Amino acid sequence: MKTDLFPLLAALTAQKFSGGIFLMAALVVVGLTTYLILTSRTREEKYAAKKRVYGLRARYFIGLSVILLVALVISLRFLPYERYQAKPDQTVTVVAMQWTWKMAAGSSDQTPLEFTGSNEISLPAGKNIRFVVASADVNHNFAIYNSQGVLVAQTQAMPGYRNELAYRFPEKGDYMVICLEYCGGPHTIMTGKIHAL
Amino acid sequence: MRSENSTIADGPGLADIQQHKKLMTVWSVTFLILFPLLIVLGLLMRANQGEVVKMEYSTFYSLMTLHGLGMAGTLFSIAYAALSYLIATRYVKLSVALGTTVYFLVVAGVVGLAGACLIGKFGAGWYLLYPLPFIGASWPQWSTGLATVSLLVLGAAWLVGSLHVVLALSKKYGGFSRLMGWAYLGRQEPESELPPIALIATVSLIPGILAFLTAAAFLILFLLQLFEPSLSFNALLLKNLLFFFGHTLVNITIYLAVGWVYVLFPEFSGREWKLNRVTVYGWNATFLFILFAYFHHLYMDFAQPLSLQYIGQIASYMSAIPATAVTIFGIIAQVYHAEIRWTATPLAFTLGGMGWVIGGVAAVVDSTIAINKALHNTLWVPAHFHTYMLAGVVLFILGFLYYLASPQESARENTRAGAGFWLFVIGAYGFLAMFYLAGANSIPRRFADYATMGLASSHQIGALLAQIAAAFVVLLLVGILGVFWGLFVRLIARRTPPL
Repeated sequence: MKTDLFPLLAALTAQKFSGGIFLMAALVVVGLTTYLILTSRTREEKYAAKKRVYGLRARYFIGLSVILLVALVISLRFLPYERYQAKPDQTVTVVAMQWTWKMAAGSSDQTPLEFTGSNEISLPAGKNIRFVVASADVNHNFAIYNSQGVLVAQTQAMPGYRNELAYRFPEKGDYMVICLEYCGGPHTIMTGKIHAL
Repeated sequence: MRSENSTIADGPGLADIQQHKKLMTVWSVTFLILFPLLIVLGLLMRANQGEVVKMEYSTFYSLMTLHGLGMAGTLFSIAYAALSYLIATRYVKLSVALGTTVYFLVVAGVVGLAGACLIGKFGAGWYLLYPLPFIGASWPQWSTGLATVSLLVLGAAWLVGSLHVVLALSKKYGGFSRLMGWAYLGRQEPESELPPIALIATVSLIPGILAFLTAAAFLILFLLQLFEPSLSFNALLLKNLLFFFGHTLVNITIYLAVGWVYVLFPEFSGREWKLNRVTVYGWNATFLFILFAYFHHLYMDFAQPLSLQYIGQIASYMSAIPATAVTIFGIIAQVYHAEIRWTATPLAFTLGGMGWVIGGVAAVVDSTIAINKALHNTLWVPAHFHTYMLAGVVLFILGFLYYLASPQESARENTRAGAGFWLFVIGAYGFLAMFYLAGANSIPRRFADYATMGLASSHQIGALLAQIAAAFVVLLLVGILGVFWGLFVRLIARRTPPL
């Protein structure tokens, strides 16, 4: 099963897609508010005006409900969770700790504290990688950014749990691992590197 | 508007009303002082991200913590105070002594938090994400203790205050089912009317009470761990408790503000705004959505049960329906062809409604799990809730304060929004636009600076947008100081807010 909606939308990233939808909706809202304010000097008998507004509301209610329902049905098919993930070609164990990453190929039975790994790793491009992500101390967030600075995948690293994240590096190149959950003072220096070969 | 209420036999007496006026003036002046100070903290953070100033990590994160907790607490407190004021002066007798106690407890809590953050450098973020304050913290344990106790004091104040309002309303209007407006759902018209503010207060404050109790449980576990470091609690459970509290607090702040919009707008539009079957259905649905939408904060916690992730997205999506179809259409029905004189209050309310919807669109987008995986913990998230707060709640508050500072109808008719107001609005939207642009460019939130990301383009874009944002914050700050000075002088000089 496909786990990502956005490759289907050609080169559009999820972030830019969201920005576009939002901008259009925000402009409509600002336009409508301006219209309301500018036309409010016209006087219309209150029952007639209210009737018109509430007549419109019925249509709005149905329209919005349909849009949200369709968006729900479509978007709930593209979840990042284990049940929706493609069969992995390779597993990588990731342990987050204040303030570095430990990554190594394969599964591990060690506790997060015992586990040893490097904050730099090479992985094959075009293969389904399953990252098994844990934390040795506090909450962190394992986020992968591509070389253009686009956030392409993420999952929380939580004490006491293992989160499984699936990602397929679409092309060769360097990817940054960044911590996206505030984890104490030096949080921003907690980076790692993935070389997709 | 008030004549229908002031004649109610068991309603507030004149002496009580005078006392509540004084209390509201004290709340307002406190807000007028506190709010700009908290904006300055935000300005410093954006300036640091824009590399205009340079501060230590520990300083940045303690300012971030105080800004977040301080703003959420201040906005909720003033929203609660204004709602209580309108209820106490128009509908139901509320205890002045209890209201005063709530005020002093809130002040004590805020002072404690300021001490913990500014002196103790407490910097766990507003959400104190367990177990962060106990592992690898750069601040002393006493400041964690002080922050925890201060939050407990704030929570206790809000809990007592909320309980008092709900119980007083319940006594007056005949219990929970009446307060939820269920009498409007039958075939016959209800025998007596329920004011919309009573329904909205109930729908907001009951989840609020649950949230404060949850926070209390969470904070007591924190205290236990402080005294017994060998203890360890389930991080996912505590995260759920924490976000139920935090999401609910912020969410009901805007609903409480909407409560007074329902009460005051008709005075400017000349059109009544009453409950009917549709509004009651809408607000009852909102009651459920407030309780269940918080799961959207945990989408990236893959260990969270899948069913809760579904509920998070469904509840978040559905909450848009009553909010817009009921309240926003209510505002439209107030404004449309109503020959409104655009004085400051109706203007602030209408623009506040606009900000609420814009923030809501951003929230619905981000509450889509398939999109959240690209936006979670980027600056898109603060973009959306700052829109709610700055372009929504704060404008609703300004509308209320303009009203409060203009006791006579003639004064209200002449209270226009001045240059300061427009400077604030322009500054706010400019500042927000930078957050959205940063979010759409994957710039992370809670990052003291972007130089360490190892991505030159992100560093450049993040810093540049932060600089522009800081410039807009200066604009909005100058604007709001102008507005506040005018309000401050009138509140202090007059001391006789309207009923």
